[in-house]
Amino acid sequence: MSGAETAFLLLAVVVAFVANDLWRWLGVIASDRIDEASPLFVWIRLVATALVAGLVAKFVIAPSGGLAAAPLWLRLAAVTVGLVAYAAGRRSIALGVGTGAATLVCGVALFGY
Amino acid sequence: MLWGSFVGFGAMTHDFGWPLWIAAFSTALIWAAPGQLVLAGALASGAGLASAAFAVSISGVRLLPMVVGIMPVLRSDRTGFWTRMLAAHFVAVTAWFEGLRLASALPRSERMPFFFGLAAALVFGSVVTTAVGHAAAGLLPRALAVGLLGLTPMYFLMSLERGADGFAEKLAIGLGLVIGPLVGLLTQEFDLIATGLIGGTAAFFADRLRSERAGL
Repeated sequence: MSGAETAFLLLAVVVAFVANDLWRWLGVIASDRIDEASPLFVWIRLVATALVAGLVAKFVIAPSGGLAAAPLWLRLAAVTVGLVAYAAGRRSIALGVGTGAATLVCGVALFGY
Repeated sequence: MLWGSFVGFGAMTHDFGWPLWIAAFSTALIWAAPGQLVLAGALASGAGLASAAFAVSISGVRLLPMVVGIMPVLRSDRTGFWTRMLAAHFVAVTAWFEGLRLASALPRSERMPFFFGLAAALVFGSVVTTAVGHAAAGLLPRALAVGLLGLTPMYFLMSLERGADGFAEKLAIGLGLVIGPLVGLLTQEFDLIATGLIGGTAAFFADRLRSERAGL
């Protein structure tokens, strides 16, 4: 990675810090004046939820990095197995993620992708 | 669990070509796994700085009610404005949950110092695990490295599901999952924001319609 690319990344991290911390600072400043149950706030929360969900789906369906080494069927199978373990284990995230990742590792190792 | 998610994030940044120190620095400075994920994901798919920052900002909205919720518990009469601003910076899911749970049991004067100690330990551990994930992704055999990269999407999918209270949130997750990859075909610059706006707005109105029907 060149110096310019590193500098850009560093700038991006600092800009993201400000963009993200804005809400924390607003929380302190406006803590008495903001109604969390107001329709505007409910809407923004739902937009944020859909955004992160969309990013997750993109990582699984059309990954831009090394995850693409595993074929689509294996990525989907790993997520499905993980979700089944998560549901069976009373919504244990550790169990679900662990099982899903193990499925992915076994699949890549077995089929030699 | 928190640290596991940062191992995944570290591995992902290695995959995207970030230097280790920037990955660790982003954990120390941004201190919000969803925001870091959105930043890395947006940049990796070619989004510019402005739209990446906007998407990060949308993902950070959740922090506001957490700060509003925890501050009355942490502060005492003598807590200054800047102390509260600094404490707010450390509010993220785990610190918030554990902070609320543990600090409530302490005398008021001890709560803020306790929270700073807790947050410092969590940030330190997370910076270390980010670095570990980044390094491991480069050293491990391929199959294991791919497995590390799978941690992040699975972790976020399941924590979204866990954190969702009610019909609207679940619908927003479902819509985001379906719309995300589709919109990604059209634009790589604004796809995250568009997915959020379309999915979130649809879930919002569907929920209103649903509660109106139930009210009739």
